Amino acid sequence: MRAKLVVVIACAAVLLAVGQARAHHAFAAEFDVNKPLTLKGSLIKWEMVNPHSWFHVAVKEPDGKVTEWLIEGGSPNQLIRMGVTKNTVPIGTELTIEGYRAKDGGLKAVGRNFVLPDGSRLFLGGSAPGGTPAEKK
Amino acid sequence: MNRRSLVSIGALVLGAAVLLSATIVAQVPAPLAKPKPAPAAKAPAPTGKPYTPPKTPDGQPDLQGFWTNSTYVPLERPQGVTKEIYTPAEAEAAIKAAADREAEQTEPGTTADVHYDFSQFGLDRSQSKFAASLRTSLIIDPPDGKMPPVNAQGQKRAAERAAARKQAGGQYDSVQNMPIGSRCIIMGGSGPPMMNAGYNANYQIVQSPGYVMILTEMIHDARIIPLDTRPQAAQGVRQWVGVSRGRWEGNTLVVETTNFNGKNAFRGASENLKVTERFTRTADDMIDYKFTVEDPATWDKAWTAEAPLAKTEGPIFEFACHETNYGIANILAGARAEEKTKAEQAKKGSN
Repeated sequence: MRAKLVVVIACAAVLLAVGQARAHHAFAAEFDVNKPLTLKGSLIKWEMVNPHSWFHVAVKEPDGKVTEWLIEGGSPNQLIRMGVTKNTVPIGTELTIEGYRAKDGGLKAVGRNFVLPDGSRLFLGGSAPGGTPAEKK
Repeated sequence: MNRRSLVSIGALVLGAAVLLSATIVAQVPAPLAKPKPAPAAKAPAPTGKPYTPPKTPDGQPDLQGFWTNSTYVPLERPQGVTKEIYTPAEAEAAIKAAADREAEQTEPGTTADVHYDFSQFGLDRSQSKFAASLRTSLIIDPPDGKMPPVNAQGQKRAAERAAARKQAGGQYDSVQNMPIGSRCIIMGGSGPPMMNAGYNANYQIVQSPGYVMILTEMIHDARIIPLDTRPQAAQGVRQWVGVSRGRWEGNTLVVETTNFNGKNAFRGASENLKVTERFTRTADDMIDYKFTVEDPATWDKAWTAEAPLAKTEGPIFEFACHETNYGIANILAGARAEEKTKAEQAKKGSN
């Protein structure tokens, strides 16, 4: 019983120690928590450069007009290490992006989730669709 | 939700077998069909014979290759934990809890949710190799695993720095007020001391006659460490990563660094900080990395931590941080937009 208690306390303490967000910059300063959005569009460019990926997505508005949005995602280094390349998510891939719009009101957002037409999320657990199987190293 | 099965018990039991260093190499396998021993299998068998590192062509102990200091072990011992070393079961539970926490989804509509998903981008520590350890803290001295208290001089300096920041204005008033890491100048992984960067915590060590080079993946800093007996640079020469001088003590590379520029204060240290690092290869896939921090202007006592480097696979990928760091412009534009909105609201309120 006592041993269990020690583990529980230790876990709680470690949680506190590692629970902080790890980010290159303050996303909540860049994007507006009060402007959640869901965008549907096709990928026209992926800037796979550190510190953050930027996905350029063509979004069709209800009136038929197409606008280009820039969506911020994570560092590509680990993706590359897991076998993900630009070919993994080819240009033209249809994406649904759930995220938050930029505070300055521009056509920019953080991509909280990148969802494929079949409902799966991109890269989840390193299992990139269509890419080299992500070998677990 | 992205919950995965976690580190194999076998690896941690093996860790107990090599408790001398209290360090193992591990990773958290994704959906775990069968527990497989982690790469810790390469750890030295407990034969009692000391490990003899390979040598470079010019006769140096060979530290070359790709390494990571990614770890779940916190710098300071967590509150409520009194022991120095976990049992394998406790360590497994601690890693599992921390990995679960990292993989948890945030609540929509909260500030924490305004971020890309770490798991989707492979940035959870559990998705790459990390140096697991049975230690409860990286700090090994003081024995309580905590940094010594900041002395009066250090507290005074901290207050002065805070006042200077306040005088400079808000954090998003100008580029210069923003954090150094956000500005792509330097991040914590470069050191010295080299601290776990959270993700992309990878290094490449290259040795040539008379020099050791340490390349840090995030954000692409190269430390060039001369091994001859040249004197330290003049006091006026100050750099972000300080100025390092190295030497071999047996199989241990000892690197002493001073001459920091004081703009990237490690844990509140002064520019007169001295960091002494010790690199000892203890297995083909492990470097024992210890560092001692001395700064009488901040702490009355020196303190020492052990943050092992586990072998990983290269290459180190380019970190062209400035190239797509649109975040800086977006944050500043966002702050101006908010100011404008507030001003308009205030104007309406006064009418």
